[in-house]
Amino acid sequence: MSKMPEELIREKSERLSRVMELKEPDRVPLSFASCFGEFMARYSGITVDDFLFNYDKTRESAVKFASDFLHDMLVLAPGAEGFIFSVAFSNHPDIAPLVRFLTGPMHDILNDKYTRWPGRELLHNIPFQFIGGEFMSLSEYDDLIEDPVEFIIKTVLPRTCGTLEAPGSQQAMAALVRLGMESLKFGSFLGALGADLARVGYPSLPITFAYCPLDFIGDFLRKPTGALIDVRRVPDKVKSACEALIKPILNVALALKPAGANLAFIPLHLNEYLAPKLYNEFYWPYLKRVIVELYNNGIKSFVFFEGYHDAHLETILELPRGWGIAYFEKTDIRKAKKVLEGHSCVMGGLPIPLMVSGTPEKIEEYVRNLLKDVMSGGGFILAPGVAEIPGETPIENMRAIIKAVEKHGRY
Amino acid sequence: MGSSPLDELVDAFVNLEEDKVLNLVERLLKEGGDPVDVLEACRSATKIIGERFERGEYFLSELVYAGEIFNRVMEAVLPKVTKEIKPIGTIVLGTVQGDIHDIGKNIFKAFSQAAGFEVIDLGVDVPPERFVEAVIEYKPNIVGMSGLLTLAIESMKKTVEVLKSAGLRDKIKIIIGGGRVDENAKQYVEADEWADQATIGVRKCRELISVMA
Ligand code: B12
Repeated sequence: MSKMPEELIREKSERLSRVMELKEPDRVPLSFASCFGEFMARYSGITVDDFLFNYDKTRESAVKFASDFLHDMLVLAPGAEGFIFSVAFSNHPDIAPLVRFLTGPMHDILNDKYTRWPGRELLHNIPFQFIGGEFMSLSEYDDLIEDPVEFIIKTVLPRTCGTLEAPGSQQAMAALVRLGMESLKFGSFLGALGADLARVGYPSLPITFAYCPLDFIGDFLRKPTGALIDVRRVPDKVKSACEALIKPILNVALALKPAGANLAFIPLHLNEYLAPKLYNEFYWPYLKRVIVELYNNGIKSFVFFEGYHDAHLETILELPRGWGIAYFEKTDIRKAKKVLEGHSCVMGGLPIPLMVSGTPEKIEEYVRNLLKDVMSGGGFILAPGVAEIPGETPIENMRAIIKAVEKHGRY
Repeated sequence: MGSSPLDELVDAFVNLEEDKVLNLVERLLKEGGDPVDVLEACRSATKIIGERFERGEYFLSELVYAGEIFNRVMEAVLPKVTKEIKPIGTIVLGTVQGDIHDIGKNIFKAFSQAAGFEVIDLGVDVPPERFVEAVIEYKPNIVGMSGLLTLAIESMKKTVEVLKSAGLRDKIKIIIGGGRVDENAKQYVEADEWADQATIGVRKCRELISVMA
């Protein structure tokens, strides 16, 4: 079991690129992801506060996790949903990617209303929370449509970030300088983390980020329910706004292309809420444009389909074959694999209740049965059903997952 | 179907035609229609909408919008309502401390109002003491607690304890709701009922008040 890191990296990269090409690898790849760091922090004996506010400790904790729980793909982003900041800087490719995640220290600097953090608005030692809210009125759609970036910078950020409330003030200027300094620290943290992970045999993921326009409206401007009601009351405005958001979203995603990024992560939220008719009118056409445009630019997409996506599964087939990875939460994964066979790389499969409350025996049995049904033909990545390892997952259950893939996932 | 304006109202509501619903309500009220009949029509519409949701024909997008339309109808009807519409019961409702998920709570609110309950909505992230104050002030039949986070279960338990030590527990029935609640959660927090769907919640609230009566 003592392979050299270079050899491990080669193996894992090969495994991942084969599934992305919809072929059979040597074994089903296993992926873990984390934003909140609850599991990693607990395992490595630090507080969640430290994981989220002290980049050195985050790094140590993540590397310990990666060395002790061998898997193939680690997606780690210790920060909250901050895509609006990337859009605000979308005309500045040197800045946009660095503010994609709103980290704990950035929250301290910006004093934003989008999130709450341990030891600040929350008790110690629990993960941050994304709260969102309504920060744009119905009558402001026209301003958003006319120039989304200007509108966000001039109107939305002053409303959502305490320290930016008086644009041009000393406080606001200082906050932006501090944000710049902090984002550099975060950037070098990510670089160092990549190097550390390479030393223990993990390839770095050439990842960038995009968003679905209607989710952008729901998450950062109008609240999720606001967006759902707006599609009824001002359908044409919502469509024009989605249209107007495509370009800045693409600019964010393409900012990392010169650095070699070729996989765009896109987390979806409103997908499961929408009846097919609304999905096909207000959501999917714009998301599809983002994905296809990126594909034409040599960037595949890595889409997290939150909740149940069963009602919209077939629409994915409208994308070019091999467009990327479809990561499912609660969607019936067997059905997804069947529908998308030979077209999309399918990811997911481990239910959260099983990870948290199952036994190692139950987990092995579950993984064996699942893989029997979904692994043939390749194009499948096993992962927890949420892009997060639940904090209360027993350590022996994590080990059981890894062992089960090793035992039952070989081709 | 021969359609009276009230049938038309039910149809328009079920099909979520907001403008048509509001126009019909306005016309009915102007022509001296009984506000009680108007509310009754909206009630049966929300019942049908709930059933469509349970059958998977309607999605959350429809439930949320139905709740919104119902709020607008209430705004139009309430000023006309004379004292004779007595609510069938009063519910103090809130999303418990630490949790801000309110989509489900708001849907439950609209559906229980549609069923004839008066609902006092305390909003989100409601501390136990706030529930106590509201129970003293409004003397509800039922306290409804909503929550989706795992930690919400703890907040619910704490709220029940605080209600107990304020000596209010046996004056009310408690129902909990939200995606994560179940029979175990109900027992753990010592509530009287639980529901993970608005329509079921409304049914249970009806049962609770009939037991009390
Ligand atoms: C929308 C959403 C959000 C929105 C909330 C918007 C809002 N204003 O409500 C936003 C983005 C802000 C959000 C934030 C967070 N969320 Co959230 N969110 C969801 C999501 C996607 C849907 C919830 C929802 O609205 N469901 C639809 C409604 C209609 O269902 P419902 O609430 O169950 O309500 C029905 C019934 O239960 C019943 N009902 C509801 N209330 C009541 C009350 C009574 C008395 C009765 C009788 C009935 C009843 O009637 C309703 C209609 O049938 C779920 C995932 C999911 N698919 O469930 C995660 C989820 C609930 N969130 C989760 C988490 C972790 C969070 C965050 C902590 C994430 C973060 N770290 O930033 C924050 C927490 C914020 C906080 N302090 O509460 C987790 C909870 C996990 C856990 N075990 O704790 C979930 C399950 C996602 C996941 N899989 O991880 N979230």
